[in-house]
Amino acid sequence: MDRTAIQDVIYQTCLLLDEKNFDAFLDLCDDEFRYTITTYSTEIRKDMIWLDHDKKGMRNLFDQLPRHNSDHSPITRHATVYKVEVDEGRREASAVSVLQVYKTDLDGGATTLFAVGKYVDTIKLDSGKPRLVKRVVKLDTRMLGIGYHIPF
Amino acid sequence: MSKTAAQWHETPKFPSSHYVDSRIYTDQQLFDEERQKIFNKTWYIACHESEIPNAFDYRTFQHPGGTPLIIVRGEDMKVRAFYNICPHRGNTLLYDPSGNAKRITCIFHAWSFDTQGNCTDISREEQGYQKRFCKADAALREVKSELGYGGFVWINVDDNCVPLKTFVGDAMGELDPYIGMPLEVFHYHRAIVDTNFKLWHDTNSEFYHDYMHYFNRVTGMMQPGYFDRKCVGYDNGHVLVGSMEIKYDAYSGSKERGIGWPGLAQGGWILIDLFPGLTYNLRTSVLRMDTMIPLSPNKVMIEYRGLGLKSDSPAERAQRIFDHNTIWGPFGRNLHEDLLGVHGQGRAMRPGTDSRWVLQGREENSTIHDEVGMRHYYAEWSRLMGRKAFDPYGERRVSAAA
Repeated sequence: MDRTAIQDVIYQTCLLLDEKNFDAFLDLCDDEFRYTITTYSTEIRKDMIWLDHDKKGMRNLFDQLPRHNSDHSPITRHATVYKVEVDEGRREASAVSVLQVYKTDLDGGATTLFAVGKYVDTIKLDSGKPRLVKRVVKLDTRMLGIGYHIPF
Repeated sequence: MSKTAAQWHETPKFPSSHYVDSRIYTDQQLFDEERQKIFNKTWYIACHESEIPNAFDYRTFQHPGGTPLIIVRGEDMKVRAFYNICPHRGNTLLYDPSGNAKRITCIFHAWSFDTQGNCTDISREEQGYQKRFCKADAALREVKSELGYGGFVWINVDDNCVPLKTFVGDAMGELDPYIGMPLEVFHYHRAIVDTNFKLWHDTNSEFYHDYMHYFNRVTGMMQPGYFDRKCVGYDNGHVLVGSMEIKYDAYSGSKERGIGWPGLAQGGWILIDLFPGLTYNLRTSVLRMDTMIPLSPNKVMIEYRGLGLKSDSPAERAQRIFDHNTIWGPFGRNLHEDLLGVHGQGRAMRPGTDSRWVLQGREENSTIHDEVGMRHYYAEWSRLMGRKAFDPYGERRVSAAA
């Protein structure tokens, strides 16, 4: 499996989540998929988990969001894959991407930086189509204003 | 029928206790007065004891009255609080929000202090000051501090304040049986929102806004007992919102919370708002603490903490974190909705928008959709400010009947 295919999966997840095409995003994920948002608090000096779901939990989250009141300002995920390591024996790859998330106001269209962090992904390579099996979003940004309902 | 400008400005058809003038949320002069007359006189939570477990551990805290503080555990394990201001040239003493410091040393000119506030070193003291000034003249300003009510560190910058116990009174009686064991903070984050701090406290004081929360509608409002929850006012502006049983499995994909909280009924929920800007929120398996730090009339920083039991097993802690994040984390269903709501109020109430009144007129036998909690808060606000919340500038005559 070449590096380009692995990068493509990561970039596709960004585009699909930006488009709120959650079904297509989940199609890129393995049945064992686990999604976690973590960050470290320099205030309480602890690692924190801010979101943690398996694939079923993510689907449920996406399904329920239309019933909630949300900030409808769209966000744009900009990832750059910095590192890819392939474990041929396990037929898996790990990838680290830096992530910037921008938010664009619906009223007026001003764009501001919303968050920075990293995607730490594990990707299964045991079939012709790479599948995301684990994503840890390691956020550097801890101040998210009024928050957001859609995971990064 | 819609209203004309004159009708829009008419006094609401309620008793004067049942509405406030919107300008109390936007006026700079009132905000400055609130800092002096309310926040600089009140007990407030600066952090939790679990954030400074060891000798010399410290936390910084932006006091809502404006003064930066240091909370530090001394070698004697006693927690003390000081201004985070060097008495020499006014520099910040501790820059990082937390850490461990056997000596508090100002980076500017290396004046050093111990954890009891004594100055222990002045660089080239004799050469510069001869006998005119010495370390004894350069101690830190200490402010009152106490531990209590779930292991929180309370501070008060008023040397002449009443004891913490007097300030809280009976308001914590409903929650006290459940927070006597050692607790531990597992979650901390802040939100800065363009809104007035009182609007966040208003939101925490009434549950009528559950119409905004799909999660609360299906797990609470549609369940038996919801409309029996009583609001009880206590001295000094505090308010209790009584318990009910939340049916978590009514929300698709959610399930009954398995671990609960020692002694608390299955699915129980107790919320206590302490004047002027603290909220204890024990919801089934997690204690949440909101601490509001007003920054300007239309800007507030809210600190959110999530706490579990110090004795939690890893599995129990993981479940509490999951429960917390489902509704209260930065990506949680409810917190974002609450913040969206007060953000919208801030947008609509900026000076010049001609927002005129905020109504608190619902009366439902002091139950959950009654706005009695807000009325109780503004009665205390009016008492301390020496102004009427419905007429803060004394512009109107109100009939005795009102």
